[in-house]
Amino acid sequence: MASFFYFLRESFTGFSRNLSTALGSIITIFLSLLIIGIFMIGGYVVDNVASSLESEVSITAFVSDDASEADIDTVESYIRGLEGVQSVSFTTKDQALENFRQTSNSDIIDTLDGQNPLPASIDVELSDPQMVEQVASQIESNTTFQQICDEPDNPAESLKYGQQTVERLFTLTNYVRYISMALVALLIFIALVFINNTIRLAILARRKEIAIMRLVGASNGFIRGPFLMEGALHAVIGAALAVGVLELLRYLVLPKLQTALMFLNFDIGPTAFLFIYVMLAVSGLIIGLIGSAFAMRRYLKV
Amino acid sequence: MTYDMSQGMPAYSARQATSQLSAALPELDIDDIPQSYGLPVITFDHVTKIYPAQPNKPALDDISLEIFAGEFVFLIGHSGSGKSTFIRMLIREIKPTSGTIKVADEDLTTMRNWRVPYLRRNIGCVFQDFKLLPNKTVFENVAFALEVIGKSRHVIKTQVPEVLRLVGLQDKLNKRPDQLSGGEQQRVSIARAIVNRPPLLICDEPTGNLDPQTSRGIMDLLERINRTGTTVLVATHDREMVDNMRRRVIALDRGVLTQDRERGVYRVNG
Repeated sequence: MASFFYFLRESFTGFSRNLSTALGSIITIFLSLLIIGIFMIGGYVVDNVASSLESEVSITAFVSDDASEADIDTVESYIRGLEGVQSVSFTTKDQALENFRQTSNSDIIDTLDGQNPLPASIDVELSDPQMVEQVASQIESNTTFQQICDEPDNPAESLKYGQQTVERLFTLTNYVRYISMALVALLIFIALVFINNTIRLAILARRKEIAIMRLVGASNGFIRGPFLMEGALHAVIGAALAVGVLELLRYLVLPKLQTALMFLNFDIGPTAFLFIYVMLAVSGLIIGLIGSAFAMRRYLKV
Repeated sequence: MTYDMSQGMPAYSARQATSQLSAALPELDIDDIPQSYGLPVITFDHVTKIYPAQPNKPALDDISLEIFAGEFVFLIGHSGSGKSTFIRMLIREIKPTSGTIKVADEDLTTMRNWRVPYLRRNIGCVFQDFKLLPNKTVFENVAFALEVIGKSRHVIKTQVPEVLRLVGLQDKLNKRPDQLSGGEQQRVSIARAIVNRPPLLICDEPTGNLDPQTSRGIMDLLERINRTGTTVLVATHDREMVDNMRRRVIALDRGVLTQDRERGVYRVNG
């Protein structure tokens, strides 16, 4: 315990001795961790968006105009019995036109001359969006549905579901994840290089002391202690700054972003923030320790 | 009485110990000092050291010798004769190419790296260039040696003034090295070397930077330390000093042991 305080005191001395390089490594760690933190928050937002889009995934099965009500009922109850289906509802031709009218330009409706080209449809809400393809193929293979579907030659054409949208979203989020991982790795590398350099300078500044310490028989751990502590200290200060700025962003910037970008969901729970902060502190500490350990391996032969 | 540095004397106050020590010293004659007892402190057994840079010219060539507890030994030789190699191997800074070195019955060639600091705690080292920290005071410089091996503040507060009194620097505790003369600086470095009361004190050219008058004082101090039971090994090429003191002389010439005799003089070629 006595040597812990000795290390702490020594690392503070080293700190003031190499103020500019120490600040350099602290700022590097701070910025790296800040950007990593922003990426993590961004990841939560993307997850929110993805899950809200996923929950909206539904299957629309178009039914031909002359399908009998009995057949439709049969298909509906068949779909209701499938795994992963939450609810089934029926949209008549008139309702379809009405929906279309609400979402589209009325000019197009006017050119229809009172005709209604839109088919009636069975709308299927899913409880598990991952099962959309399975449910769709089961509907497609149902013989009753094959008879009453809008395009009997090719039943698959009568089924519309958000598969493409979901897949595109997943590829997009995966890309975002890979890119941010690469960036984070790069930032961690830069921070490691900076810490390494700072500790190297600290070692050089104290090489006379180190020589004497070795001479009088200070244990290797005792010689390394102050440098490890210094690296850890930089990391902790950097992490604290990053957490502070992220807190500011959370309370000052996130609400504004939420009002400006209504379609994105910035609702991230306090546990998620806590998780991010703990992750940042831990990774900062690891970066600091590894960076100084590297420097010692190369420049401190004890 | 003999003040045994290796055992430590917690029962005596510093002042008591020092006064008894200085009172006892003048009455001793060199011949009364036991030159050796029992086991050797240092054993070299067919030690050869070849540096990779000079594969055909061994820095030390098949050296075998023993140095016993309580001895005062001069290690002489020209520059490049292997004196520094000898000393660097003793503190396990380097390992011999072949042969074995034992210090206090511990084999340095097979010693694990993590044990080396504990070996060095039993060997005091003094160098030509003092190796003092310029931004620390005399007291702090000596205290540093105890601090970094984890001694308590209490031990530091009692032991450091005591050892500084022993080397005659009790009035300069708060001076910085650049405010001291060369001889005083070397006394600080000797104080630092013996503050932990090591049984073995190694000095590499301790008077190399000092004038003859000051050198004499340093040698007197080393002799006094030796009388307390500490084994002292002094590497030097100060001919006058060696000839005056008539102690055991080990001579090296281009890595070869050319002379090893009791009460020797400075003669490198045997």
